[in-house]
Amino acid sequence: MRITLMIPCLVEDCLPEIGLAVVSVLERLGVGVDHPRVQTCCGQMAWKTGDVARARALALRSLELFAGPAPVVCPSGSCAKMLRTYPELFAPGTPDHARALDLAGRVFEFCEFVLSLPGAPDIGAEWNVRAALHRSCQMDGSDAPQRLLSAVRGLTLLEPERPERCCGFGGLFSLQFPAVSESLLEDKAHELLALDPEILVSAEPSCLMNISGYLARLGRPVRPLHAAQALDHGLDLGLQGALTGALTGGPTWR
Amino acid sequence: MEINPRDFREQSEKACHDATLRAVLDHATRYFQAKRGAALETFADRETHFARARAARLAALSRLPELLEQLEQTATAAGTRVHWAADAAQAREIITGIAQDCGAKVVVKGKSMVTEEIALNPALEAAGMEVWETDLGEFIVQLAGEPPSHIIAPCIHKSRADVAALFRAKLGLLGLSGLDGLPGQENLSDAASIPELTLLARKALREKFLAADLGVTGVNIAVAETGSVILVENEGNIRMSTTCPPVHVAVMSLEKVAATLEDAADILRVLPRSATGQKMSSYVSVLTGPRRPNEQDGARETHLVILDNGRSEVLAEPILREALLCFRCGACLNSCPVYQTIGGHAYGSVYSGPIGALLSSLLLPAQDTRDLPFGCTLCGACKRTCPLGIDHPRLMLRLRERVCQSSGTGLAGAAHSFLALHPLFYRLAVGAARAVDPNLDLLPRLPGFPGLANFVDTRQPPELKKPFSAQLLRLRKKQARTKKPHTNKGDA
Repeated sequence: MRITLMIPCLVEDCLPEIGLAVVSVLERLGVGVDHPRVQTCCGQMAWKTGDVARARALALRSLELFAGPAPVVCPSGSCAKMLRTYPELFAPGTPDHARALDLAGRVFEFCEFVLSLPGAPDIGAEWNVRAALHRSCQMDGSDAPQRLLSAVRGLTLLEPERPERCCGFGGLFSLQFPAVSESLLEDKAHELLALDPEILVSAEPSCLMNISGYLARLGRPVRPLHAAQALDHGLDLGLQGALTGALTGGPTWR
Repeated sequence: MEINPRDFREQSEKACHDATLRAVLDHATRYFQAKRGAALETFADRETHFARARAARLAALSRLPELLEQLEQTATAAGTRVHWAADAAQAREIITGIAQDCGAKVVVKGKSMVTEEIALNPALEAAGMEVWETDLGEFIVQLAGEPPSHIIAPCIHKSRADVAALFRAKLGLLGLSGLDGLPGQENLSDAASIPELTLLARKALREKFLAADLGVTGVNIAVAETGSVILVENEGNIRMSTTCPPVHVAVMSLEKVAATLEDAADILRVLPRSATGQKMSSYVSVLTGPRRPNEQDGARETHLVILDNGRSEVLAEPILREALLCFRCGACLNSCPVYQTIGGHAYGSVYSGPIGALLSSLLLPAQDTRDLPFGCTLCGACKRTCPLGIDHPRLMLRLRERVCQSSGTGLAGAAHSFLALHPLFYRLAVGAARAVDPNLDLLPRLPGFPGLANFVDTRQPPELKKPFSAQLLRLRKKQARTKKPHTNKGDA
């Protein structure tokens, strides 16, 4: 099986290690990965500021980039959601609308996709670690990250008091309403820190950036990992266990 | 207290720094959510009940003109005088006219958001009448000279001590010697218990009910089939407002109609559970016309004011009309992380929280409300909570689109979209930024986003790294050389 990889702009230039972990996990699970170039922005930013015309122009670019029957996998709940929103940007009955519907039907958030593979949720990962999960409201209530991480042997999955509560990022919101955004982030950070985690895991890179940036400023850095990075490292350790260290190598998230 | 949604951003930022307000809101919204959760547990199949309530509301919206005409006929037949108000000014004029016709000096009011919307109290006071809010929470905010800060809990922002201080200052009240209601010797203390405060308000309000010439209430549901007005409450003050004074005026916004009593029942099964976490509110009044000749109580004269105030236009909007499904349970406020943090007053209008941002944007002048749909992280907690299935985030986005159409996205948004549409320039721009400022130290000085300085002040920004696509290419070359099927872990 081959998939087409959709890489969020934040991952492309600021968190490339997330993308590499995605490729690593998928290939080790026997999935071929194609990464069409050049990807820029899915249009989420324009869409969320109400700029529908520009969101539509960017959606058309994505429709070209991600044409073809392969599933599209994206390591971000919010970008995956944006791709699923494309049909709303075109008039029903038009060819673009049909293409948008087709794409929306084969978009998977990374965790959802891994969960659909044979053998999941136990993909052979292993990691003795206390992991705090931030579910991210952008995942639209999907429990795929919880299910995958729960199946990692040795991993203690910790969830904050209000697991579904927003971390306060909200893209432009964090710039337009900085004090409100910071207040929400403060609540979130304290609920997470109360779990005394060793790592912070989320399937949403922007939430991860928001929360870990705040924890760093607080002087309480907890290593932030995308679910793909946690699974990738878990696979490393699982393999090491299986092959008694024959395939050693540093964890990819380092 | 003058409030205006134009100041929403400023007010919300200010509210965040009020630690007491945040603590009170945190406590109250958690309490409401816990009660609601427990009440919904009593449903064997909540989704079915939610769907039936939604169906009743949808049926009303889809047949609105017809149902309102039927309501006029049935209510008139039951002896109620029906008035149509196109806007707030006309509604105020109608109600002031009724009050003057019956020579009213004292007016008592049941809690009603729609009379807040039309700013009725100042109009009646200007006509020389004494107006008393009789809902405990509304009474408290009235004494404080503030608008309500929550749809169903108007003084949610006030602590017990706040209320004691207010009663002492405004009513000159002595505390009670005990809960027998006899006055004590000491001034009311900040530590006064809630039952004590409630009793004091009850005593003060009882006199107003007996003196009132006119009672004004809102409407939870108006039944087209029977011409009845249904009111739900817990304090009994609404029932007293409709029965003590000789004249009762019910004010409804036009979407509050239900086709049948059956539909009303479907709504009532969900409304109190979602609002206050009760299977049914303590009082449900179904009022059909004035007192009959052989009856002991009830108003002698009943009026129903049906208010449009912009709603007909909203009804014609394909996506936004969904906001009119709302029956004001207030659950979305309690679930909203932004509301939980800033409270209701920051929104600067009668309706607050997620549904308030939507309704105010739809009903008030566009130039005053442009920030409202942006004060939302689109987290969807409201949508998940709403028993009627209103998709608040989708409506927020539609409102943002409207704002954008009238004033554009600004330079930064335009620049970003231009670059994203031109991949070569995009890569050049990011490459240049990485060369000049890999740690994004210059980020706060980027024009167009004044909030960036604050953002990097509180959060360490990410760095610009070697792009993923370049790293992947290198990996692929390496894989081709070694023909290994998966990534070389040491590479990343």
